[in-house]
Amino acid sequence: MGSVMKSSGLTLNHKKKHSTFGRRVRKDIATSGQSTDPDSVNNNLEQELAVKESISPDDVVKLNKITEGYLCPLEANTYDIEFTRFKIRDMETGTVLFEISKPSDAVDEGSLDDTEDGHDGRFVRYQFNSQFLKLKTVGATVEFTVGEKPVNNFRMIEKHFFRDVLLKTFDFEFGFCIPNSKNSCEHIYEFPTLPVDLCEEMIRNPYETRSDSFYFVDNKLIMHNKADYAYTETPS
Amino acid sequence: MGLMNILKKLKEKEREIRLLVLGLDNAGKTTIVKKFNNDDINDISPTLGFNIYTLDHKNFKLNVWDIGGQTSLRAYWRNYFENTDGLIWVVDSVDKLRLSDCAKSLHLLLQEERLLGASLLVFANKQDLPGALSAQQIENFLDLKSLKNRHYMIIGCSGHSGENLLEGIDWLIEDISTRIFTF
Repeated sequence: MGSVMKSSGLTLNHKKKHSTFGRRVRKDIATSGQSTDPDSVNNNLEQELAVKESISPDDVVKLNKITEGYLCPLEANTYDIEFTRFKIRDMETGTVLFEISKPSDAVDEGSLDDTEDGHDGRFVRYQFNSQFLKLKTVGATVEFTVGEKPVNNFRMIEKHFFRDVLLKTFDFEFGFCIPNSKNSCEHIYEFPTLPVDLCEEMIRNPYETRSDSFYFVDNKLIMHNKADYAYTETPS
Repeated sequence: MGLMNILKKLKEKEREIRLLVLGLDNAGKTTIVKKFNNDDINDISPTLGFNIYTLDHKNFKLNVWDIGGQTSLRAYWRNYFENTDGLIWVVDSVDKLRLSDCAKSLHLLLQEERLLGASLLVFANKQDLPGALSAQQIENFLDLKSLKNRHYMIIGCSGHSGENLLEGIDWLIEDISTRIFTF
């Protein structure tokens, strides 16, 4: 279960088209009519990055689709950063929609499967009710612990795609983390209004909504996690 | 002048405000911040690091940083000073024994160069508890009137009931925004 937890905090801001609340934010707008084939561009870029000694935020910002593999090994996390809780609440009603924490592992709405397929806990699969896509204001909390070493310039960049459409990029700088500390961060944000047809496509094509979460310390990639999402139309 | 205008404009565009919440341990910092964000305040344990909230409030993007106040953590406060627009200092109005410690910590903090420009909001917290000193008494104890070149406000509040939290934070944002976003 610990492996599940490690990945669970990485999915702040589901389905947000673009986010503006980090300290350093780059807005990406979904583009469709690109002249170059995004597949080949991205694959080339990913191959280039795979052989780099260290990967910087600027490197991953350029990625225009979900990566095929992980851009750093598990051992790159030399700071013992571990995610211990993940929560999503609907700010309109105050209802907690999803909460999972270590070690109790309680799941409210939405379920979480670790697919045990050699991802070493870096991958999480989410199933949400399709009503999730209609929320107005959402608070997403992530809680994490830090090991004995102080962490400088801790930064997260997260990219959500539906197929090759970039739904949002999320960029937040935590900055310094105290040694042996337990920290939390809640982002409260307006849920974007996604076009109806896009929502329907996302509902019809489970797990084709995916995210990459990249974590940096001093501008070096130390963690890379992935998630995918299904929105099922079941009466709640 | 030209550069300053450009910088101000850049900041205005983002309308981002960074608030730092500090005070001695058990002052009620986390409760205040959670209550302000309509979060559950029944199960709060000592903060052993930071709690960050980012939210939209009155067309501003607030980044609120609540840092643990235990003695061992105070040495790390300075890591969070950079770019702070507003400082919220939380006082346990019932804890008379540690008021001088509280005053010392605050004045030490206010000497910090990176906090020179920050507006100061002092929450005299726990007004709902019997024996709480009034905001005015706390103001005297902390010798706030001696502060030079510092915009400050002190207000009695209760993190538990939420009383005056909005009033205080609205003052702080108003003060910061007139300072930063107008020229």
